[in-house]
Amino acid sequence: MSVEIICSGLSKTFPGGVEAVRPLDLTLTAGQTTALVGPSGCGKSTLLRMIAGLEDASSGTITIGGAAPSETLARAGLAVAFQDPSLLPWRTVRQNIELALDLARKPRKPAEIDQLIHLVGLDGFADTRPGALSGGMRQRAAIARALSTQPDLLLLDEPFGAVDELTRAQLAADLPGIWEARGTTTLLVTHSVTEAVTLSDRILVLSPRPAAIVADITVDIPRPRPSNLKALPEFQTHVDATFAALSQGVADTLPNAAQ
Amino acid sequence: MTATALRPWLGPILILLAWESLAHLFASAFVLAAPSAIINYLFDNTALMTRALGVTLTNAAAGFVIGNAAAILLAGLAITLPRSENMIRALALVIFCLPLVATGPILRILFGPGTGPQITLAALAVYYTTLIPLLVGLRAVPSDWLDLVRSYGRGRMTALIRVRAMAALPYLVAGLQIAAPAAFLGAMVGEFTGAERGMGVLTIRAMRDMNIEMTWALATLATVVAVLAYLAIGLAARAVLTEEPPVILAAPATGKRAPHKNLAMVALSTAAILALWWGGLEALNLSSFFAKRPGDLIDALFLAPDAADTRAALSSALRETLVFLFPGYLAGLLTGASLAMALVMAPSLANTTMPLAIALRSVPIITTAPLVVLLLGRGATGTIALIAIMVFFPTLIACLHGLRQAPGRATEVMRSYAASPAAVLRYVRIPAMLPAFFAAARINVPASVLAVTVVEWLATGNGLGSLMALSASLSDYDMLWSAVVLTTLLSVIGYGLVGLIERRVLSTYAPEQLA
Repeated sequence: MSVEIICSGLSKTFPGGVEAVRPLDLTLTAGQTTALVGPSGCGKSTLLRMIAGLEDASSGTITIGGAAPSETLARAGLAVAFQDPSLLPWRTVRQNIELALDLARKPRKPAEIDQLIHLVGLDGFADTRPGALSGGMRQRAAIARALSTQPDLLLLDEPFGAVDELTRAQLAADLPGIWEARGTTTLLVTHSVTEAVTLSDRILVLSPRPAAIVADITVDIPRPRPSNLKALPEFQTHVDATFAALSQGVADTLPNAAQ
Repeated sequence: MTATALRPWLGPILILLAWESLAHLFASAFVLAAPSAIINYLFDNTALMTRALGVTLTNAAAGFVIGNAAAILLAGLAITLPRSENMIRALALVIFCLPLVATGPILRILFGPGTGPQITLAALAVYYTTLIPLLVGLRAVPSDWLDLVRSYGRGRMTALIRVRAMAALPYLVAGLQIAAPAAFLGAMVGEFTGAERGMGVLTIRAMRDMNIEMTWALATLATVVAVLAYLAIGLAARAVLTEEPPVILAAPATGKRAPHKNLAMVALSTAAILALWWGGLEALNLSSFFAKRPGDLIDALFLAPDAADTRAALSSALRETLVFLFPGYLAGLLTGASLAMALVMAPSLANTTMPLAIALRSVPIITTAPLVVLLLGRGATGTIALIAIMVFFPTLIACLHGLRQAPGRATEVMRSYAASPAAVLRYVRIPAMLPAFFAAARINVPASVLAVTVVEWLATGNGLGSLMALSASLSDYDMLWSAVVLTTLLSVIGYGLVGLIERRVLSTYAPEQLA
C-alpha cells in the first residue's frame, strides 16, 4: 500500500524556547523516496520524529494516508531506522527482527527473515549478538529490522552514518529496490548530498535551525538507477543544485550558521 | 506557590501526617513516637543532644577523612601498579566484610578507652565504597586520551594526575556521597561498644530504658545529619563538576581468566590475608590471650578438647543467621526492583517518591535498628524487615538507573511499533536493568550480613551477631575470632557467588562491561 503524508503548519518549539522547526507545509508523495538534507542540528531529525509520532508537534497536523501518526503507529504501519542501530544487545540479529515482527503483530516467516538478512549482507550472522558485529553490520541489521514489518512508511534517520563507503554503495544499490517494489513511502534524513541524490526521487533542502524548506528538488533520474549513476551528467547537476541550495540556506542565516 | 511547586513535598507531608496520627492511635503500644513528640524531646534535651551529636560528628569526620584518604591512596596504587590491583581489591573486600559487631569490641581492647575504635570503624565503613567507584572512574578514560599523554613522551604518573584523576572526580564524589552517612553509621556502631559519649552511647541507653521518644529522637537526628551530609557533598560537587555524579555499578572484579588462574588468585589472596593477620598481630606484639592468630583458631576449632563444642556452637549460630539472612536479603532485592519498575511505569508516582527515596538512601539504616525492633518486635519479622530495608534502597536506586539504561533509541524503536509500556518494560527495560540489579545484589551481601548481625546483637539474641557479642563480653576470644572469620567468610563467599551469577548475566546483557 502506498500512503501519502501531508504535514500542514507543522512546527516544533522545545520547552525552553528553542525553535527547531518553523511552521511548514509538506506533502510526501505516495510511493516516493524523499530526502531531507540540511546542516547538522537544523531540525531535520525533529521533523522525522514528529512524522514518526515520537515527538509531539507544537502546532500543525500530520496525516499518513489520511490517518493520524498515532493510528499508523497502532497498526504498525511505519518503521524507523536511527543512526544509532538501537539493537537489543542480548538478542541475536534474528531475534531482534523477530521482536519487531512480534510487536507489529506480524507472523514470523523464517524464510523471509533469512532473505532480508541476506539482502543486507549479513549471511552467517543471523544468530550473532550485536556485540560481536561491527558498527556497519549493526546498522545493516537495524535496516533489516525496519524492513521486516513491511511498513507503508519507512523513516530512515541517517541510517548509513557508520557504514563504510563500499557497503554504503552496495546498500544504496540494493535497498531502493525493496521499498520501490512495495510502493513504500520513504523519508530519508541525511547530510550526505550524494546519498540523497542516489536514493531519492525528491530532495528537500532545509535551512539551519529553525528548519524551513529552502529548496525542493526533483531527482528525475529514472529507476532502476544505473550502476554508473555517479558518472551521469544529471547526477552531478542534482548534486550541484543541492549543494548550491544548502550553501544559500546557510548564507542567508549567517549569524546563526557559526554553530 | 503553585500546585506544581508543592508537589514534591506532598509525599513527605502525607507521610508525616500519617505518622503523627498512627502514633496517637497506638500511643498505648509504646513503639511509635509522634513527630511532634520527637521535636518536643529534641527541644527539651538540646544540650544533651548537641553534645552527643558533636562527639559523634567529630569521630565520623575523622574516620571519613582517614578512610577516604586510604581509599584514594589504594586506588592510585592499583592504577599505577596494575599487577597489585587484584590483591588490593581482595584485601579491601575482606576487610570490608569484617563484622562491625566484633571489630568494635576487638578495637576497644586494642585502643583502650577513647575515640580510637569509633574513628577506625568510621574509616572502615567508608573506604570500600569510595575505593570501588574510584577504580571504575580512574579507568573511565577513553584510551585515546592516554595515548595522547604517551605521544608526548609522558608516563603513567602524568596520565594519572592530568587525565585519570580528573576523569575520576565525578566517581569520587559519588563514592564520598555514599561514604558520608556510612561514616556516621561506623562512628555510632563504634560508640555502641564501650564509648563514654556520643549518639551511639545514648542509643544504647535509650533502648535499655525503653525510652521511646529518645530512641526516635536519636534515629531522627542521625537521619537528618546523614541526609544533610549527603546533600552537602552533592551541592559542593555540583559547584565543581559539570555533570551529575554517576550511579556506580562496578562490574565484578575478576577478569577473563581461566578457572585455575582464578583459583590461584583466591589462594594467593587467602595467603596474603593470613600473613597480614598473623604479621600484624605479631608486629604490634599483642597478647595471644585476646589477639588470636590463625594458628590459635585451628587449635580451637580442630585440636582442643572442646573443639567439637566450639564448632557446634558456630554452626548452630550460622544456621540461625542464615534463616533470617536469606529471606530478608531476597525480600529487599525483590521489593527494590519491583518498586523501581512501578516508578518507571508510573512517572507521576516517581515525582513524589523519589525525593523521599533519595533521602532515605542516605539514612544510616542500622541506627534505626532499635526502631524496627520496637515496631516489629524481636522476632523473625523485625529482623527480616531490617535486612530487607538495608538492601531495599540501594537496590531501588541501582535498578532505577538500570531501567533507564536502554540501549540507544531502543525504547523509541519499540514505540514506533506501538509497543505498550508493559512490552517496553519486558523486552527492553528489564533486560537492560539486570546488570544494575546484580551489581546491587553483590554489593548488598556485606550490607545484609552487617544488618543481620547488628540486629541479632541488639535485639534477637541469637545467631552469629549475638554469639560475637556474647563471646566478647565473656572474653571467649577463641569463639569471638572464629565467629569473625565465619561471618567474614559468609560475606565474601556470598559476594563471590553473586559475582559469578552476575558475570554470566553480564556476558549476555552487557558484554562491554566485562571487556
